[in-house]
Amino acid sequence: MLRRSVGAIELRDVRRLFRATTGTLRRHTKEIVALDGLSLDVGEGELFGILGPNGAGKTTTIKVLTTLLIPTSGTATVMGLDVVRDAKEVRRKIGFVFGGERGLYYRLSGRDNLRYFAELYAVPPREIRSRVEELLDLVDLRPRGDERVEGYSRGMKQRLHLARTLLHRPRVLFLDEPTIGLDPIGARELRRIVRQLHEGGATIVLTTHYLFEADELCDRIAVIDKGRAVALGTPADLKSNVSDLSVVELEVFGIDAGTVERLRALDFVDSIVVEQRELRQVLRVQTRIAERAVAPLIAAVAAGQVGRVAVREATLEDAYVRLVGRVE
Amino acid sequence: MTAALRLAVQSAWVDFQEVAVNGFLLFGAVWQPFFIGVTTMYMLRHRADFDPMYVIVGTALSGIFSTLLFAGSGAISHERWIGTLELLVASPASFFLVIGGRLAGTTVFSLLSLLLAYGIAALLFGYPIAIAEPGWFAISLLFAVAALWATGMFFAPLAILWRAVGHFLLGLEYPIFALSGLLFPILLLPGWTAPISNILPPYWAAVAMHGAARGDLDLPGLLRAWFFLFLTGGALLLIAKWLFERVLTRARRAGTLALS
Ligand SMILES: Nc1ncnc2c1ncn2[C@@H]1O[C@H](COP(=O)(O)OP(=O)(O)OP(=O)(O)O)[C@@H](O)[C@H]1O
Ligand SMILES: [Mg+2]
Repeated sequence: MLRRSVGAIELRDVRRLFRATTGTLRRHTKEIVALDGLSLDVGEGELFGILGPNGAGKTTTIKVLTTLLIPTSGTATVMGLDVVRDAKEVRRKIGFVFGGERGLYYRLSGRDNLRYFAELYAVPPREIRSRVEELLDLVDLRPRGDERVEGYSRGMKQRLHLARTLLHRPRVLFLDEPTIGLDPIGARELRRIVRQLHEGGATIVLTTHYLFEADELCDRIAVIDKGRAVALGTPADLKSNVSDLSVVELEVFGIDAGTVERLRALDFVDSIVVEQRELRQVLRVQTRIAERAVAPLIAAVAAGQVGRVAVREATLEDAYVRLVGRVE
Repeated sequence: MTAALRLAVQSAWVDFQEVAVNGFLLFGAVWQPFFIGVTTMYMLRHRADFDPMYVIVGTALSGIFSTLLFAGSGAISHERWIGTLELLVASPASFFLVIGGRLAGTTVFSLLSLLLAYGIAALLFGYPIAIAEPGWFAISLLFAVAALWATGMFFAPLAILWRAVGHFLLGLEYPIFALSGLLFPILLLPGWTAPISNILPPYWAAVAMHGAARGDLDLPGLLRAWFFLFLTGGALLLIAKWLFERVLTRARRAGTLALS
C-alpha cells in the first residue's frame, strides 16, 4: 500500500460544543454546537482561506488547531502531530494571530514585547536581537520600536502581533481576521507580507470576511456555516458555481418586505439579498438571464421607487452569498 | 536549565515593569504595611516587653504576604484580561515557569515593605536598629521570601479553579496575619490555633527573621524554622504545579482562556 502523504493540517469529524449560560437568578445552560463534524485537509505550503458568517466556527477551528481548545470529539493534526496529545510539539511549530489589538504588554515597548515573546519561543539568545530588528523592519515599526505599546495605533498593534508570531520562523501560520480594522493601505501591506510568507513556503490558514481578500490571496477556500464545511475549492471553483449567474443591482427607496417576497417568487430570480444603506436599499438579484431581468424587475417594484440599476458578473462574494444565503 | 532560568528572569522583569505601577500592589506593598507599621508601633511601644524589631518583621512580612496574595490570586486572570493568556498557553514555554517568574518579580517588588518597615522604626520613631545576626537574617529572609512566593504560586491556580475560593482567600488576609503573629504575638491567641499557625509559611518566616534579627534563637531553632519554611513552601509549590496543569486543561475544555 502506498503511504498516504501527510498534509500540513488535518481535521477529522471535529465537533466542539460550548456550554452557554443564560439568566442571572435562574441559570440555565444550553449547548452550542460550534463545530459540527468538520473535516478539512490543508496541504503543505498551501494558503488556505476559511470563510463563513459570524458564528460559523472559524475562530473555533483555529483555536482547536492552535491547541487552545480541546475538541469535544474528532481529531486534528498539524504537521502530523495531534493537537491534544502532542500539544507541546505543535506549539513549537505554529504561529498565530487573532485579529485585534489585545494580547500585548502595554507598558512594554514594542521591541521589548518581541524580545519577551522570543524568550517564550526559545529563540536562541544570540539571535534574538537581530531577529527582533529584522521583524520590526518587516512590519515597519522599527522607528517606533522603543515606544510603549499603549501609545500604538490599532494597526501598529496588529502589525506587532504579526511580527510576534514570526519570531520562531513557524512553518504553519494561523491568521484569524488579520486585516480587521486596518486602513486600506495597512491591509494591503499586510496582504503583501502574507503573500511573501506564502512564497517562503509557510503553510497559512487565514480567515476573513473580505471576500476579495480571500480571492486575491488563497489557493483554496473552505466556506463553513454552522460548524460544517458547505463548500471547498479554489476561488475559481467557487466562482464557477455562479458563472451562469449575473447580478442585477437595483437601488430602491422604501421598499417593503411584501415586495421583496414578490420579487423572490419571480421565476428568473435565483436569489435576492437586501442591503440597507441609510435611506435606500440595494437589492442584489442573482439571475441567469442577465440584462433581460432588468425590465421585469423594475416593473415589479412600484413606480418611482427605483434609482440606479446595474448589471454585473457574479463575483466570489455572490458565490458566497448563494452558499450561506445572507450577507454580513 | 539555563533557558528556563532565562525565561523566569525575563518574566520577572516584564512583571516588574507591568505591575510596579499597579495601584493594588502598591497598596499591598506600601500603603497597607505603612498603616500597619505605624499603628502597631503606637499600640505596642509602651509595653514593658516592647521590641521594635518585632514590628519591623511583622510589618515587612505583612506587606510581602499581601502583595503575593493579591498578585498571586490575580496573576492568571490579569493575563486573561489583557488577552495574553492564550498567547502564553499556546507558546511552547512552561506556563508554570512563566507565572513563577512573574510572581518572582512581584516578590522582589514586595521587598519595598521591608525597607518601609525599617524606615518607620528608624526614622519615624527613632529607634536604633541593629540586626544581631546579619548572615542568618539574610538566609532567613531568603527562605521566607521563597516560601511566600510559593504561597503566591499556590493562590494563582486556586483563584481560577474556584472563583469563590479566590474571593475567600482575599478575606483571609487578616486572619493569616493574626495566625502568623505578624500583628501581635500569637501567645494572645487561643491554644487550639497553634497547629494552624504551624502550617503557615508566614508564621515560620516571622520566627526565623525575628530570631535572627534579635539573636535570641539558637541555631537548632533557626534550622527548625528554615526546615518548616522549606516544607510548607515546597508542599504548596507541588500542589500548585499540579493545579496549574488542571487549570490549563480545564480552560481548554471549557473554552475560558479568552474573554471573548
Ligand atoms: N468560549 C466560548 N464559550 C461559549 N460559546 C462560544 C465560545 N467560543 C465560541 N462560542 C460559540 O461558538 C460559535 C462559533 O464561534 P466562532 O467564534 O468560532 O465563530 P466565527 O466563525 O469565528 O465568527 P466571527 O466571524 O464572528 O468571528 C458561536 O455561536 C459562538 O457563540
Ligand atoms: Mg471569529
